[in-house]
Amino acid sequence: MWLISLRDLQWRRRRFIIAVLATGLVFGITLLLSGMNSGFGDEVNRTIAAFHADSWVVPRGAPGPFTTSAAFPSAVVSQVAHTAGVREADAMVVTRVTLAGATPLDAVVFGDTIGGIGPSATSGRNPRRSGELVADTKLGVGVGQVVTLGGRRFRVVGTYDGNTVFGGQPTAVMPIQDARAISFANQPLATSVVTRGLPASAPPGFKVQTPSQAAGDLKRPLKDATSTIGFLNVLLWIIAAGIIGSIVYLTVIERQRDFAVLKATGFSSIGLFVSLAIEAVVIALAAAVVASVMAIALHGSLALRVEISTGTYVGLAGISVVVGILASLVGLRRAVGVDPALAFG
Amino acid sequence: MSAPPAPAAGSDHGAVADPRAAHLEVRDLTIEYSSGGYIVRPIDHFHLDTRGGELVLLLGASGCGKTTLLSVLAGILTPSSGSVMVGDTQVVGLSGAALTQYRRRRVGIVFQAFNLLASLTASENVQIPLRGAGVRSRAARHRALELLGQVGLSDRVEHRPGDLSGGQQQRVAIARALAHDPPVLLADEPTAHLDYLQVDGVIRLLRRLADGGRLVIVATHDDRLVPLADRIVNLTPRRDTESRAPETVHLEPGEILFHQGDAGELVYIVETGTIDLVRTREDGTEERFTSVEPGGYFGELAPMFGLQRAATARAAAASTVTGYTVRDFRARHSGSVGQLLSGAVDVTEAV
Repeated sequence: MWLISLRDLQWRRRRFIIAVLATGLVFGITLLLSGMNSGFGDEVNRTIAAFHADSWVVPRGAPGPFTTSAAFPSAVVSQVAHTAGVREADAMVVTRVTLAGATPLDAVVFGDTIGGIGPSATSGRNPRRSGELVADTKLGVGVGQVVTLGGRRFRVVGTYDGNTVFGGQPTAVMPIQDARAISFANQPLATSVVTRGLPASAPPGFKVQTPSQAAGDLKRPLKDATSTIGFLNVLLWIIAAGIIGSIVYLTVIERQRDFAVLKATGFSSIGLFVSLAIEAVVIALAAAVVASVMAIALHGSLALRVEISTGTYVGLAGISVVVGILASLVGLRRAVGVDPALAFG
Repeated sequence: MSAPPAPAAGSDHGAVADPRAAHLEVRDLTIEYSSGGYIVRPIDHFHLDTRGGELVLLLGASGCGKTTLLSVLAGILTPSSGSVMVGDTQVVGLSGAALTQYRRRRVGIVFQAFNLLASLTASENVQIPLRGAGVRSRAARHRALELLGQVGLSDRVEHRPGDLSGGQQQRVAIARALAHDPPVLLADEPTAHLDYLQVDGVIRLLRRLADGGRLVIVATHDDRLVPLADRIVNLTPRRDTESRAPETVHLEPGEILFHQGDAGELVYIVETGTIDLVRTREDGTEERFTSVEPGGYFGELAPMFGLQRAATARAAAASTVTGYTVRDFRARHSGSVGQLLSGAVDVTEAV
């Protein structure tokens, strides 16, 4: 079977190459889209983990600590701090700002207590006073730079990497009083209380969210995007199967006389199917290699963070085999149905 | 083109281990199929009894059923009725794995158009039936080289069909047919695409294969093969070219003069009454396509060209017809072949 399949691919190598490139392009797009979806999930997990927090306490009607605009008096913080299970509690303000520049850049700001719970700089240091800022590298600013955020000037004292939200939006950490100044005209308000240690209960009118619930709050705005990407991925797999299936079907039509001869000389239908399936699988695997090269070459140049794990590449190879076999089913019926008497024609 | 080498003395080239396996017995075989909506019966109550060591020619013009008969012998086509015994195997009714085994082990087929796989080398083409049967690569290649050597193509084993002459391709096809050492070899028009130089090599090869105890059945219209054959089966109805006395036939209403598919010997002139010419459709119904009145003639095509009757002739009323050989018909009634075929020969004086 191998002999017939590989020789046929060799014989029709131009068509084989075109099929591999076309299918590889489709596979490559699916890889990149999968990488985007993974990137969405991974950024949420990274950002949540950066807080090293055990819970967020938010108003009962708020969906979560990152998407709510419901502010409450910061006096609630001391109530939470005195709840059983809590070792440490800090007020937090989450707000959106725009980085002034030739091309304005939106960012999400975490207003944290200085020296309290919150993401730390991986380069430089954390803010020690008002007017200092730690920024995600995606914001494009370096330590020592002065930037204008929400109409206020800040000196960048540290940076971190990968703490983005909502599909690649950069974040920044500043003292909570600066965040209050931007959002609440310096009023002593907070949008959530972040804790170390899990509170046994929440103050009246508040609820406790675990890190996974807080992650759900960050993922919720991306739900439509991720489901659309998933749907597009399915469509692309179908297109890839369609390309391979078309090539296999075309081959079957052209090789009807060959199949008739093979059947007349005692080839079984299973043998014919295996022969076709091998061709389809070889095309699919070769396309997977092309797709992997394409994805590796392109993923860093996209605006959105694309995270493709080794497992995804291995998975692509596995799915390619399945797609190849399914695609060869298209031609199977026709190949098996070839009348061996055609060999006499 | 190099002719295939003669087998060495004591060689088992073409020899069949069990001659009984090469015994072919065809009984009362009828093959019908549909063509253009009508029933065609190229093989009608056919009998043949032959054995290993014979080279049998199925001789006849195109369309007479040679290839159809070969297809039945190869287990590719199921006949309408009758039996085909190859050795102790009843071929009619075989299916599934048994049929696959029969095609692999009992018969080898040489196709008219060679039908080699263009993407494979000569050696690989010969290996294919073996690999399909699960023979390991090394053993299959060894067998292929042995067979290609026997057909004189040791120096062409790595050539693809497109790089081989017609005769060489046909010899590769013969080697492929012999891959499983079958007792019966079926060859369909093996000389059809060859020039006279190439024909020589192929004919000698087929003859030698038969001499080794194989039964070789060759369907052909090439009468150059006749001197080499042990038996000739003429599938074309005999053309009566001699003069013979006209036959006058009286028919009652509904009585049939001849059936669609019968051999045709005479051209008929209607003396009295009316003759309907009807064709049987594939669903069994009949279609009358013309009626011949007194003074008209019919049935000229079959005896002129050695074909089977294309329609059934049935009396629509009490009728009398007279049958002539083509030779006598043309002698009595002046007219060219073209006029005869177009119905333009005037036969009124004869009526």
